[in-house]
Amino acid sequence: MQNHPSYPVLSQLLAKYPATGGALFQVYNDLTLAQRWTEVEVLDLPACKRAAIKGQRPTPDTDRGPSICVVVPCSLSESISTSWLRAAFTSLDPLPSEIYVAITSEDTSTVYYKISQGVVKPPV
Amino acid sequence: MWLGYVTYERKHIDPLSFNSQVNLARIAGMTPPILLRVSNFKAYVWDVDDINILRSHHHICGILTGTLPHLSSQNIFLGLPLQLMPEEAVLLLENGIAVLVDDPSAHHIPSPSALKLWKEARLDDARQQIALTEEKGSIEASNPDRAMSENAKRKRKEREERRARAKADTAPSVTAEDSPSPHPTSENPSQPAIGEPPDSAIVMPSKSYTVNIPASSSNLEWYAPHSHASLTIAREAGIWLYPSTLQERARCGVFRDLWEKGYYMGGGIKFGGEYLVYPGDPLRYHSHFVASVIEAPDAALRPMEIVAHGRLGTGTKKAHLLCEWNDETQVVSYLSVEWAGFG
Repeated sequence: MQNHPSYPVLSQLLAKYPATGGALFQVYNDLTLAQRWTEVEVLDLPACKRAAIKGQRPTPDTDRGPSICVVVPCSLSESISTSWLRAAFTSLDPLPSEIYVAITSEDTSTVYYKISQGVVKPPV
Repeated sequence: MWLGYVTYERKHIDPLSFNSQVNLARIAGMTPPILLRVSNFKAYVWDVDDINILRSHHHICGILTGTLPHLSSQNIFLGLPLQLMPEEAVLLLENGIAVLVDDPSAHHIPSPSALKLWKEARLDDARQQIALTEEKGSIEASNPDRAMSENAKRKRKEREERRARAKADTAPSVTAEDSPSPHPTSENPSQPAIGEPPDSAIVMPSKSYTVNIPASSSNLEWYAPHSHASLTIAREAGIWLYPSTLQERARCGVFRDLWEKGYYMGGGIKFGGEYLVYPGDPLRYHSHFVASVIEAPDAALRPMEIVAHGRLGTGTKKAHLLCEWNDETQVVSYLSVEWAGFG
């Protein structure tokens, strides 16, 4: 991992949160290399005992404009809770309307789910 | 609009005392509380008017569970009684909209005279229905050609000729009974097909009639319901125990919160959740959400559940709603889950 180009950006937070290092590494690479997010930075989320990733999601043609999104990585094998999810929201400034949870599995698949606070209708 | 709403702004839910419920009803000018007939810890509604009120005034839908024995597929055509989710019954009770009745003990043993009166009234009603049917039938028979096609007329002529020949062969003639008893639709092979009027000159040995028999016990002379107006009272009487666990309390809390927001709820099994949450009457709208009840803020949640709920929700044009119940603060917090659309 140390020789990987992403390592320098992540090294500090990988050292701080070794338990979630694998998920962080996988999601960071997926976002930057496969999903082609831009202006990607890592954030420290002590309330969730891990790092989160903030960046700009590429815009689909019909969308309004580029959106800044926050992604919280987590592994399939973890046990989380709704209070953990809400803690992610309250740790972020400014308070986002939604966050993305990136769930990693051991075959390096990553799936992303959008979590919003409150009762938020699905798009039509 | 809801006088009961003001009470439930409090954090701790107390079942209203019977007197305050009655006063609420009087002040609000509402009708007396609806009777929920409890049998084996399930709440049923047997009166159609009450079902209407529950749905249109209180946006509580329930499900119809009555089936017709002679229909082979017993999940399509459903009727009385309406079965309520326990959370629905609890909410109605706590809001003073309904009271619980122990149905088995409400049915007393009828006296012989009461039973005799009931039997006679029942037979009378059946006879009246038959008389009306016959009257209608004779009106139609006296003017049989009004809707007949040439083909039908020809077939009737042929049938009449055939029967006349058969009658000439057999010795005694068949006469109709004095008071034909109602049969559930038994087919007489010599009757004309549906849509064709009966042969006027022929005497039928037995006719089949459809007689409606009311199923409700409310009008029985020996039905004496005793109302239980609160959860505490009902629990002490041993007829209702819900909610008794954290999971059940969480469901009641979540259901109430969604209901107070004005949503209609249905069962969520078809979409992998506890409830389907509709913005209006389910007969008019599709649900926007599938809701799961999370019994505590730190209850273990597996990421795979987010994947399963989120993808199924999005795949069916809904969002998944994680409804977290906090038993200490009695507050519900919501998180909406959708597939991100990338990854």
